[in-house]
Amino acid sequence: MSPVIPIGPYHPALEEPYKIDVVCDGETVTGAHITVGFNFRAIEWLAERKNYAQDLALVERVCGICSNVHTLTFSRALERLAGVEAPERARHIRVVVHEAERLHSHLLWAGVACELMGFQTLFMACFALREKVMDVLEAVSGNRVNYAMNKPGGVTRDIVDPAMVVAAAREIGRVTNEQLIPVLTTDRTVRARCAGVGVLTREQARSWGALGPVARASGLPQDIRRSAPYEIYDKLDFEVPVREEGDVLARIVVRALEIVESCRIIEQAIEGMPAGPTDLGNFLPMPAGEATARIEGPRGEVFYYVASDGSDSPTRVRIRTPTFANMPTVALMVQGQQLADVPLIQASIDPCYSCTDR
Amino acid sequence: MDPDVFEDVRTELGIGAPWEARGEGRWAEAASLDPVTLAARLLARQARFVTLTATPTGDGGFRLLYHWDLDGSLLNIAIRVPGARVASMAAICPAADWVEREVRDYYGLEFTGRDDTPPLMLREGDERALFVRTQELGRDADPADTARRTGGGPAPQLPASPSAWPGPSGNGAGVPS
Repeated sequence: MSPVIPIGPYHPALEEPYKIDVVCDGETVTGAHITVGFNFRAIEWLAERKNYAQDLALVERVCGICSNVHTLTFSRALERLAGVEAPERARHIRVVVHEAERLHSHLLWAGVACELMGFQTLFMACFALREKVMDVLEAVSGNRVNYAMNKPGGVTRDIVDPAMVVAAAREIGRVTNEQLIPVLTTDRTVRARCAGVGVLTREQARSWGALGPVARASGLPQDIRRSAPYEIYDKLDFEVPVREEGDVLARIVVRALEIVESCRIIEQAIEGMPAGPTDLGNFLPMPAGEATARIEGPRGEVFYYVASDGSDSPTRVRIRTPTFANMPTVALMVQGQQLADVPLIQASIDPCYSCTDR
Repeated sequence: MDPDVFEDVRTELGIGAPWEARGEGRWAEAASLDPVTLAARLLARQARFVTLTATPTGDGGFRLLYHWDLDGSLLNIAIRVPGARVASMAAICPAADWVEREVRDYYGLEFTGRDDTPPLMLREGDERALFVRTQELGRDADPADTARRTGGGPAPQLPASPSAWPGPSGNGAGVPS
């Protein structure tokens, strides 16, 4: 009889509730069953019973790492519903915060992955760099978590020191290019732990609907910023890194290259930021109707659907987070792998259990 | 993308009315369209399943809004089912597996053609249709209370006064969540 190893419901590295039961033949994984829902909060239900202003605060708390993407997507859905668009300056500010959030999320993940590999020095280097991003986010928004920057029709705060943001983006891009990427791509420890490990093929990624860096590391060049540009992304010059290998190393490389691209985007968004208002003012009441919005979060496409009957509360809110789509692919990635690699493989999708459970 | 492609898709799916362009996407009502046919046609065009928005219609039926990404464009295709049963497309579209399990947890919608539909957000043995059962108790009822009543045994009872709650200093630090 094959032994079943229960891992969880707390992740051994990420300290979030999630369980994977791994079936083994010796040290080799032959099957896996994933259980989620330990942090289920019925946020869709709650959102349909609160007013739009309360919902903005509610959706910010879907996720503690990528909170900004939820208020951004929700705000954009409401703007679509009302047929309005945020002012130009607000859209530049949104992109700056959006990309800064991607930076901190990718660096947080890189640090955790390095710790899982047993590479403590690189873990500390990643977190030191992430602190520079957190300083930017705190200076811009006043907060290190739950930035409260977005609102329907614009942003809540202006960027008062754009030069500081540009300087930080350049520094983070330089350190990533000169230090992080060379180590992450050539170091023997990283390659030994990650190359050829936890492969998700292109076809598997497509049929299971993988998103974000997980999809791009398996050869799928999908990025909402490019395929359905929002805010000012159609005016920006940036690359969408794609790798074909589909292994843990490819996911590391894709995210590392995205850090550099995010720094470039922040620079462009700041340099092209026009003067002008940062929000439209109050445009409630919301008209009756329905709308969707999608943005490319750090972990992939974030999707919101909002329906309104013209009252001050939505009649339906649907939230599809990227980890919800990526998590089932872990069961494919761990097939035939060593048991000791399971924590690293499941962490390689940069999972957010809070997002998944909503 | 070539607009003719969307017209070809509409014809293949047998959608009579033209697409309604709203926001970034295209919308269509296709009341009697079979989700499996929908999935097969769109997967053949390399489309990606985004998610399903199920909305109870108040008469025991559902409006099911299937969201698909076709080469970067969002297609929102609504079908209507008179009761709580609809064909599952998970066999040909694995991306729908968790979505269908989640919808069943919330609304009790049965997806036919699956070997089984284990709970996703709820636990094994929990009663399904959490949101529908909670709605029956009132608009502002708490799904957590519903779950405790029907799936997880009796609700934990806390003393009325916070000062008597468990915890090192009676400040709520040990309150079960």
